[in-house]
Amino acid sequence: MEYVVNLNKFQGPFDLLFQLIEDNEIDIYDIPISEVTQQYLGYLDQMVEYNMDLTSEFILMASTLIEIKSKMLLPSFKEKDEEDPRDNLVNRLLEYKLFKEVSEDFKDKERAELKFIPKPKEEIEYDEKLNEQVLFEEINVYDLMNSINSLLKRRKLEINRESPTFKFREDHYSVNKCIKIVKNILKEKNKVNLIDVFKIDFNKGFIIAIFLSILELSREKNVKILQDNLFGEIYLMSV
Amino acid sequence: MDKSEIKSAVESMLFIWGDSLDIKDIVEILEVEKKRVEEAVDALILDYENQDRGIVLKKFGESYQLKTKDKNYKYVSTLYKPNTHRGLSDAAMETLSIIAYKQPITKIEIEQIRGIKSSYIINALKDKGLIEVVDRLDKPGNPMLYGTSMDFLSYFGLKSIDELPKLPYDKDFDILDEKDEKNE
Repeated sequence: MEYVVNLNKFQGPFDLLFQLIEDNEIDIYDIPISEVTQQYLGYLDQMVEYNMDLTSEFILMASTLIEIKSKMLLPSFKEKDEEDPRDNLVNRLLEYKLFKEVSEDFKDKERAELKFIPKPKEEIEYDEKLNEQVLFEEINVYDLMNSINSLLKRRKLEINRESPTFKFREDHYSVNKCIKIVKNILKEKNKVNLIDVFKIDFNKGFIIAIFLSILELSREKNVKILQDNLFGEIYLMSV
Repeated sequence: MDKSEIKSAVESMLFIWGDSLDIKDIVEILEVEKKRVEEAVDALILDYENQDRGIVLKKFGESYQLKTKDKNYKYVSTLYKPNTHRGLSDAAMETLSIIAYKQPITKIEIEQIRGIKSSYIINALKDKGLIEVVDRLDKPGNPMLYGTSMDFLSYFGLKSIDELPKLPYDKDFDILDEKDEKNE
């Protein structure tokens, strides 16, 4: 018999042995141990040649096979109902085969059941402590932008799209100046409502400069921007 | 609460919960007898079946869960792809089937049957919630005994562990348990 090298990744020595038995259509209760051992060892040689990981289990099986082979070569002087040296191996192979088959059933069941889809569980727990944490979760730039937009709207400062002409004026407030303003406010109060900062001067230039200065401060990690809930009030906190 | 009220309440709860809901929790919330909840849910299961709805009410062990119907899978899956979609590997399935039939079982016993080290796979199955440590063996080292979990039933669509198909034992293959004793 020739062995066919199949580079399938075997699960273990039983898997390999089982494959050999199936491929050669061997009767599992009467294994021609010499041929199977030869094939098995041949396969191990191939595995070594291809630099595959040869775990100790594979080598243990090889020595078991050789042991059985040598036992069978010895003439037996004892009674006929003496245990066949192959029995233990056959039993283990049968047990392995059993679970290999069973696992195919499981695969079918899995395949069928995967077609029923449950809705992933949502976070619906309400916890006072949990809520406290959410209160001061950091917010992103877009929340800040929305806040600015709503503020500009409130003050009717929106750019008139009908007549896209602008008057250029000198900036009264630079970003650097506003950084100082914000820092001063935060020195006095640890936490301040963003709207209160804008209230200092409802001038468009000022609002923009403050907005940019807050972004800058946030980028430098001097200021934390907090919002208690979606579209809620935005607070500044010194770090 | 009459039966239709229980049915209605259970349906609402299962919908919002999403995950499987234990009958104990339902009994506690509704403050009605367990038997009445079971009756109501069984009726609800039939309602879903008979009215040819897109939702099925699945029962496994002592838990219930709403799922979309398998025949609608191809439509549902265009909107939502669960991350367990690919299923278990051959090695994992092999290990899991050994645990399912021989539970409670130690790692060593599993490895004896598979003929190969199985720690990694056992841990992966544990992380996936399909198996759990059910006890410890009263032997030196107190090795952990593994068994299948409630999620295991749900994963394979089994109502209870008794629903596992009988092992196809060969006639002249009854040496298994004797051998186990020898090995100990």
